[in-house]
Amino acid sequence: MSLKDLNIVVLLKQVPVPKAMKTKADGMMDRSGKSMINPYCNAALEEALKLREKVGGVITVVSMGPPNAKQSLIEAMRKGADKSILVSDRLLAGSDTWATALALSSTIKKYLPDTDIIFAGLQTIDGDTAHVGPQVAEHLGFQQVTYVDKIELEGENLKVRRFVEGGWETFITPIPVMLSIHTAANTPRGPSLGAALRTSEDNITVYSVEQIGLTKEEVGVAGSPTIVSRVLNVVIDRPPVELFNEGSATERVGKLLEAVNRKEESS
Amino acid sequence: MSTDREKAKLERDMAVPEVDLRDGASGIATWAQTDGENLHPAALEILGEARRLSEKLEDKTVTSIVIGKDAEKHAQTLIEHGADRVYVISDDRLLEYRTLPYVRAIVDAIREIKPEIMIYTASAIGRDLAPRCAARLHVGLSADCTQLDIGMYVNRKKGQRFMHAFKMMRPSFGESKLATIIGPWNYPQSSTVRPGVFAKLQPDSSRTGEVVKFEPKWVEEDWIQEVVEVQKGGSRVELEKADIIISGGKDLGREGFEMLQELVDAIRANGQVAELGASRAAVNAGLISSDHQVGQTGKTVRPEIYFAIGISGAVQHLMGMQNSKKVVAINIDPNAKIFQVADYGIVDDYKNVVPELIKQVKNGFTFELDK
Ligand SMILES: Cc1cc2nc3c(=O)[nH]c(=O)nc-3n(C[C@H](O)[C@H](O)[C@H](O)COP(=O)(O)OP(=O)(O)OC[C@H]3O[C@@H](n4cnc5c(N)ncnc54)[C@H](O)[C@@H]3O)c2cc1C
Repeated sequence: MSLKDLNIVVLLKQVPVPKAMKTKADGMMDRSGKSMINPYCNAALEEALKLREKVGGVITVVSMGPPNAKQSLIEAMRKGADKSILVSDRLLAGSDTWATALALSSTIKKYLPDTDIIFAGLQTIDGDTAHVGPQVAEHLGFQQVTYVDKIELEGENLKVRRFVEGGWETFITPIPVMLSIHTAANTPRGPSLGAALRTSEDNITVYSVEQIGLTKEEVGVAGSPTIVSRVLNVVIDRPPVELFNEGSATERVGKLLEAVNRKEESS
Repeated sequence: MSTDREKAKLERDMAVPEVDLRDGASGIATWAQTDGENLHPAALEILGEARRLSEKLEDKTVTSIVIGKDAEKHAQTLIEHGADRVYVISDDRLLEYRTLPYVRAIVDAIREIKPEIMIYTASAIGRDLAPRCAARLHVGLSADCTQLDIGMYVNRKKGQRFMHAFKMMRPSFGESKLATIIGPWNYPQSSTVRPGVFAKLQPDSSRTGEVVKFEPKWVEEDWIQEVVEVQKGGSRVELEKADIIISGGKDLGREGFEMLQELVDAIRANGQVAELGASRAAVNAGLISSDHQVGQTGKTVRPEIYFAIGISGAVQHLMGMQNSKKVVAINIDPNAKIFQVADYGIVDDYKNVVPELIKQVKNGFTFELDK
């Protein structure tokens, strides 16, 4: 037996470009500026495309976000994803990772029930939690391997390598499985002409909270077990720096090293 | 803020009705990570923090959950470092980490212990394990925290006042801000914390504690994944163990990093433990591999002496090194933010300073370390 014609899902998040990242007063990310595909999700998409080249199948990109996330879905399809689902609804605002994972897994359950493999980014560069992949896997009862940087076919199973402290472990895992991908896994491709020509906004289906079978109590702030209660400026409480800017380099470095070796009660 | 205003605010807060949704959940539980055989240093760090936090709770019991092959051998160490009770989950099949057996073990143990707070390590394994446990337990999870506290939390909108809310703090992105995350509606309130952030307690061999041998209700499917290969020693970069870290930023280029490596080698030649560190921008520029990265998405370090050379001092970098004992900054820009956290500094091009540092170290200068 070997794997063939797989139903592949890629979880993808659109994030602000790092230079434009700003937190609003309520602790939420300001998403009005310039944005891009989260680099880890881009690596996940690349692994999905590589796998499909080997075994065939259909890649559906699933994202939750504001309507302008369509631009990232179009970009993903220009690289070769077949179609996209965007879960977008004002009710989702303020969702923590738990509520986000619930929305994504409900979408997959309802609209992509035959999913064999979910590729997720290890984490996002704006939230940096690494929660959503494993939580989607739990809600769907999938196997999971995170921090993945290598994937091979092994009969009807997959052989995947994951990073652990001080090394790697290689697993044989059955499907259905969620794999969260490290950016070290690959260098993502750019758009291809053929795929770009096939891409159309018609291949994006947008669903509301109601359409994915959830209620307003289950998502957004209401459905989130955690909230941001306050955001504080980080205060740096060190005594002022002692500078050594006078004299030759030899003198300055000499005085600096002398000061470093000086005994002090608290520094 | 004037004390009058503070008093008025406190009065308003206290007028909000107190609620307590803990429903019998009490005390703190921690996960003591092993690599199958040995304890991860963070296991003891979290325990130290749990011990400190427990002072703010009615039930001060701290329970440590340890999973692995022959895990009972760690019980005494955990007790000496602050655990009142150790749940030992031991099985030969637990030599390598696999998600589902671990999740079952933690979830079953938590259901029995019923803690109000659960703390995991935000290691590569912890970040695989914790979210799945939280999802199964239907509780929230706050990731990669760097500060923890317990205290009053008032939610005016809901008209709720909690007296023992778990305050989980983590840096927010793009700016120098720290976000506090809370979730006193579901128990255990759970978080993962960064390795290297908290200090472990001095071991106290006179401490006593209870050891509970715990048997999770594993099912056959939990063990379906098979570990076929283990490669150890992926990285020999031991930033966490270095007494002296020499870190460089992206504008140093290859030439600059070669110079820093020469400085590291010179310090090592004097018998001191030094390591090369870097900003993420330097890693992204391909100047050095990512296992050298210090910061929010790199390693958290607390060496005796930290040299930041050509590093601007972005908050994400500071998050990883601000607990260093002494910080030395060398930067061409007198207004660089790194000087706000540095103890000593030189404003100059690194090219003028680093060769001189190398020379003086090679001439026999050794750093005095108070340990
Ligand atoms: C989600 C997220 C996570 C992040 N995580 C991390 C992290 O873990 N670690 C991290 O470091 N960053 C992290 N960053 C990136 C961080 O915001 C900064 O971009 C980065 O730290 C800057 O690196 P740098 O200091 O090398 O470069 P720059 O900010 O460009 O600074 C270069 C510095 O070099 C000085 N300089 C230039 N030439 C010389 C010279 N000849 N001699 C002396 N000094 C010179 C300049 O004055 C300047 O201060 C993260 C960012 C985001 C958005």
